[in-house]
Amino acid sequence: MKDKYLNFNNQKKQAETKFLIGVSITALGVLLALIGNVNKNALMVVGIIIAIVGFIIVMIGYGAFASLKRNFKDTVLKKMFSDALPGITYEPINGLSQNIVYETGHLKRADRFHSEDFLGGEVDGVSFISSDVKLEERHVQHTKNGTRVYYVAYFIGRIFRFEFNKEFVGTLQVLEAGSPLNRGYKKVHLESVDFNKKFKTYATEEITAFYILTPDIMEAIYALERRNPGRIGLSFHGDHLFVSINNNRDTFEVQMFRKIDDSMVEEFKKDLLVIKDFIMTLKLNTNLFKIKEDKK
Amino acid sequence: MITLLSTGAIIAIVIVALVLIVVFWFIGVMNQLRQLELKVQEAESGIDVALTKRFDMLTKMLQTTKGYAKHEAETLEKVVKWRGGIPKDATLKDKEEFFNQMNQVAQGINVVVEKYPDLKANTVFLELQTAVANTEEHLQAARRLYNANVTRINTIIVTFPQSIVANAIHMEKKPYFEAEEAKREDVKFEF
Repeated sequence: MKDKYLNFNNQKKQAETKFLIGVSITALGVLLALIGNVNKNALMVVGIIIAIVGFIIVMIGYGAFASLKRNFKDTVLKKMFSDALPGITYEPINGLSQNIVYETGHLKRADRFHSEDFLGGEVDGVSFISSDVKLEERHVQHTKNGTRVYYVAYFIGRIFRFEFNKEFVGTLQVLEAGSPLNRGYKKVHLESVDFNKKFKTYATEEITAFYILTPDIMEAIYALERRNPGRIGLSFHGDHLFVSINNNRDTFEVQMFRKIDDSMVEEFKKDLLVIKDFIMTLKLNTNLFKIKEDKK
Repeated sequence: MITLLSTGAIIAIVIVALVLIVVFWFIGVMNQLRQLELKVQEAESGIDVALTKRFDMLTKMLQTTKGYAKHEAETLEKVVKWRGGIPKDATLKDKEEFFNQMNQVAQGINVVVEKYPDLKANTVFLELQTAVANTEEHLQAARRLYNANVTRINTIIVTFPQSIVANAIHMEKKPYFEAEEAKREDVKFEF
C-alpha cells in the first residue's frame, strides 16, 4: 500500500538520523572529556570539541524536524481541518492573546506565555476561537553556588472560547480544580451530589448558576469531562463560554520516532472535533433563548 | 495556680465553660437557620419575579394570537386565575397553581400555533416565543434555587442536635415549590 505521507516520513527519518548521530557524538565527546579530566590530558579538549560538534548536529536535526512539523501543519493539517469543519481558520504559528486567556478568570498571569495552533470560525452557527496554551511560572532558587532561575509549567493544554447562547447576569465558573482569581464569587451547591463532588461551582449571582447549569447541561459537562482527560474549567462570562483543559498535551504535533500515518492524522482530527463536541453536547447551537442579530 | 483552686471551683469553671460552649453553638445554629430562612425568602421573591415575567410574556403572546384566533385566545385568557398578576398575600401553593395555569396557557398557545401557520411566521410572535422560552428557563432556575435552599434548611431542621435549636425558635420545615404535575398531565384544549 502506498504511503500517503512518504515524503514527510523520508524527511522525518533524515532529521531523526541526524538527531541520533548528534546525540551519539555528543555522548562520546562528553565521555572523552570526562576521561581527559580524570587523566589530566589533552583528551578533555578533544572531547569538548567532539561534544560541541555533536550538539551542532543535534540542533541541525532538530531544526529539520521542526521545519517538517511546520510544513506538515501548513499542508496536510490545514486541508484536513477545513475539510472536517468547513469555514474554519487554522494558523499553526499564532495563538490566543494573553487577554483572552486571562479572561477565563481562573488562570493566573504567567511569567512565560506561549500559544500556538490557533483555530477559529463558526461551527453550526456558533463562533469560536481556540489554541494550545502553555503558561509557566518563574522560580528563583538561591544556593551556595549562586542563584538558579527556572520555569515550571502550571498549564499545558487547550483553551476555547465559544459564543454563548444565553444572556445572564454576572460570572459563573465551574472548575475541576482551583478557584476563581477575583473576589466576589460565592460557592454554589447544586442539586446534583455527583456534580458537586466532581466540580466546584462559583458564581457572582447564585441564580445565574441555576439558570445556566440546568440538569441537562450538568450532565453534558460531566460527559465532556469524561471524554477529555485532564483538569477542565468552564467560565461563563459576558457573551462567552471559556473552556480550559489542562491535560499536559501539545496537540497537533508530529512526534519524533513515530511514523506519520493515518492513525496519527485521525488523532489530530479527533482533537479538532473536540470543538464540535463541545458545541453539540452543551447545545450551544440551540437558538432558543437569545434573539440573534443578523450577521451582515 | 491550679493547685490553689478547690475542687468545687474547678467543677464550677468546667460547668461555665460547657454552658458557654452550648450557648455559642446555639447562637451559631440559630444564625445559620435565620440566614438560610432569609435565602429561602429571597429565592421565593425570585420565583415571584420570574412568574410575573412569564405572565407578562404570555399575555403579550395572547394579544398577538388574538389577531389570528380571537376565540381561542380569549378562552386561554380565562384559564389564568389572576389576570392582574400575583397578589401580595398569595401562598406558595397559590403560586404553584398559577404556575400550572400558565403552563396550560403555554401549551394552549402551541396548539393554536399549529392550527394557524401564518401566526408561526409572524416575526413578533417568534420573538415572543424566544422570550417566553427564556422566562421559562429563568423560572425553572428560580424554582431550583428555592428548592435547593429549602433542602438545606430542612436538612438542618430535621437533623439532631440542630433540631433542638429549630424547635426552640419555632422554625418549621419549609415547603418545596412543586411544579411537576402539569408536566405529567397531557392538557387537552377544546376551543
